[in-house]
Amino acid sequence: MDILLQSVVNGILAGCIYALFAMGLTLIYGVLNFVNFAHGELIMWGAYFLYIFISEPFSLPLVVAVFPAILCTVFLGIAMDFAVFRPLRKADRLTLLIAAMGLSFLLRNAAQFFWGAEVQTYGLEITRGYRYLGVSLTANQILIIVVTVICVIGVYLLFFRTSIGKSMRAVSDNLDLARVVGINARRSIRAAWIVSAALAGTGGILLALDTNLNPEMGVINLVKAFAATLIGGVGNLWGALLGGLLIGLAENLSVLVISPGYKDAVAFAIMVVILLTRPYIVTGKRMD
Amino acid sequence: MLEIRGVTKAFGGIRAVADCTLSLEGLAISGLIGPNGSGKTTLFNIISGLLRPDGGQILFDGVRIDGRPPHRMVRLGLIRTFQLSRVFAGMTVLDNLLLAPRGQHGESLRSLAWRRGAIRRQEALNREKALETLEILGISRLRDEFAGNLSYGQQKLLEMGRAFMTEPKLILLDEPAAGINPSMIRTMIDTIVRMKEAGGRFFIIEHNMDVIVELCEKIFVLDHGEKIAEGTPEEIQSDPKVLEAYLGG
Amino acid sequence: MTGYCVAPRPSSLRRTQGYASLLGAGALCLRPFCEAFAPPASCRALTGERMDLLLHLCVVIAIYSIFAMSLNLEVGYTGLFNFGHVAFLGIGAYASALLSLAGFPFFLCLAAGLAAAGLAGFLLSIPALRLQGDYFGIATLGFGEILRLVFQNEVWLTKGPMGLPGIPKPEMLGVRFESLPEYLGLAVVAALLTYLAMGLVTESPFGRALRAVRDDETAAEILGKNAFAFKTRSFVIGSVFAGLAGVLWAHYTSFISPSDFTLNETIVVLLIVVLGGKGTRPGPVVGAIALIFLQESLRFLRLPPEWTRYLGPMQQMVFGALLVALMVFRPEGIMREKRRK
Repeated sequence: MDILLQSVVNGILAGCIYALFAMGLTLIYGVLNFVNFAHGELIMWGAYFLYIFISEPFSLPLVVAVFPAILCTVFLGIAMDFAVFRPLRKADRLTLLIAAMGLSFLLRNAAQFFWGAEVQTYGLEITRGYRYLGVSLTANQILIIVVTVICVIGVYLLFFRTSIGKSMRAVSDNLDLARVVGINARRSIRAAWIVSAALAGTGGILLALDTNLNPEMGVINLVKAFAATLIGGVGNLWGALLGGLLIGLAENLSVLVISPGYKDAVAFAIMVVILLTRPYIVTGKRMD
Repeated sequence: MLEIRGVTKAFGGIRAVADCTLSLEGLAISGLIGPNGSGKTTLFNIISGLLRPDGGQILFDGVRIDGRPPHRMVRLGLIRTFQLSRVFAGMTVLDNLLLAPRGQHGESLRSLAWRRGAIRRQEALNREKALETLEILGISRLRDEFAGNLSYGQQKLLEMGRAFMTEPKLILLDEPAAGINPSMIRTMIDTIVRMKEAGGRFFIIEHNMDVIVELCEKIFVLDHGEKIAEGTPEEIQSDPKVLEAYLGG
Repeated sequence: MTGYCVAPRPSSLRRTQGYASLLGAGALCLRPFCEAFAPPASCRALTGERMDLLLHLCVVIAIYSIFAMSLNLEVGYTGLFNFGHVAFLGIGAYASALLSLAGFPFFLCLAAGLAAAGLAGFLLSIPALRLQGDYFGIATLGFGEILRLVFQNEVWLTKGPMGLPGIPKPEMLGVRFESLPEYLGLAVVAALLTYLAMGLVTESPFGRALRAVRDDETAAEILGKNAFAFKTRSFVIGSVFAGLAGVLWAHYTSFISPSDFTLNETIVVLLIVVLGGKGTRPGPVVGAIALIFLQESLRFLRLPPEWTRYLGPMQQMVFGALLVALMVFRPEGIMREKRRK
């Protein structure tokens, strides 16, 4: 029973991180109508930016280093849009996706260029977990939950209580109509990238805190984020949140029955099931 | 011929087609008219297999075709064109036409491996037919031009010619005269007549009343998804229900 | 399709000969370039070394050409966003390697590699091809990743991360393809056969219908083309030839491991396809030559020894940047597909 409960808790923890990834991904999908194949690298670079700021020559304490790290990730996101995705706004689907893949390849190898392919950590001591009701939670893990809750509240406030949030929702709904009504699409798009990158960076940092850093960490997390996005419906932020939690739970509960080596495949399997059983995503309308 | 019985289709509460029943038996060219949003194109989409009806049946030469996938319609002899012309812009006019004939051996991988001679002969035959069709359409000189470089009217003509090359029993034309200039409309009408004389049968959606009246033996009128009238052009033009549908709401 | 016209046939044959000589010329061009960017001083004296390098590069080009031609059929001619193509490279490689290590004759291993890759392609296509665009892309990407996990975890079969060493060189029709020139011959013949096969498929009514499905699926359906069937066939053929590339790769390098078959390989072959010009016949070959050219010229920049560990990622970064730049500035690649004036 203890194992089951621990798995559930681990699942929620992982799910929080996936939720952050998925919310960022679904936001861009909603506003710009494409899957940002480089989202995984925003996640990865978020983690590495923090690594930069806690190492020489900055040597900032972790809590302080988070801010410049997230800021850098946001700049990276905006730069990605400015340099690659904006010129391709009117391009066809394939061109856009290939460009995103090229970008993700570039960013992955840039990280490998600077830090090599080996796994890194933030070098924090392993702390013992607190025990509550038979479950073990380390301080880091409590941090994950707290940060996620803060982010979710922040996203809610942004989208439903500010005018820029309303604009983003309008643009997500129908870009052309939003423009006609006078909404500044460019500002909304930039805001979407800021939020998406911030969420990705935050999630990446939390993930690296809980596990480790390596240049390839973005790839499989892109697949998981996409699976979570699908569960909740494209462009749906709360759906992405739910999707992330579900994927986290499914993953951690699955290791009770399948080999841990395939844990990463669980999200993919879920995604395949969804794609095959929800025809309105699969084929769209029969006529276009 | 085509027979539609009690077909209905709704999109999330909005009735696009409601209990539509009509028959094209014995008609060479028939028309389908109605105000905007009356469900004409939706009906065409249902007939051609792009949409599944919520209820009712569609029969073609006595065989039920509702629910069949679109690519199976051609071999029954049913084909359609689109309101906004859908030629393959990146291919030449000739290639567009060469795509059309049914039962091309060259499209089968097995034949590509073993029956190259037969494929070559069939291609040559199809090429002849395509050149003839270009003559009928009057655009022979555009043979090697990329379809995307044609004028809109020429594209619609090409699309019609392409449909004709599938040797269909019935061609559904969706607004053939829309968006093209009057001289081209005359060409369009003449081409349709020529195709009719060569054995083609048409079911035409049109807003241009002159075209409809000149070509059609019988006209069906839809309003808000329902068939409100059917008859000869004279009967339709003097039917008060039809006038009300167009002028009223 | 031009080959089937009433027009005389030799034109397509002449074109093939033209491109074969382009390939040969390209290979020859590499030689003076390699001399210009000389390898480290210690190798200079060994003239055999430079010839070996050239032959090695030609083998790599040949294998990459096959891999790229297979992807070109799927992406260029059918418009499928296959981002997991490396999976079929891996399946072909592992299938052939495993059977070969178990002592089976090469042609059986080759057949097994092709069949396994083709079968996997067929099985994946059934669910995956119901998806459009982005979703298909992510599904295939995920499939590639999952397969890598399988290669990694099923240690009883694939020896996992330790990989399969000692894969024997092929032996067919009494010839043992052991030396570099012999293997090059094998690879070039395979590439040529692939080129001809691809031509047969694409320059035909099948290819014409395939392009119609790519350009406007609905319109193609209305004309009676079963889009799903065409896409499936294209996908399976592409998978089979990717398997061929995998078989050749495994027997060339004699050692394969799961880390050889990552997303990065897919991106490199994607770069080759778009660089050369997707949807064109010679495009993948041109792209392969161009890419290997680029890769090797980067290698021979005189770097101080401490920097060599940076070379790999640096090459890849250049590739990534090149891919992005291509998409932004010249998505048609080198050999533009003739679509409109």
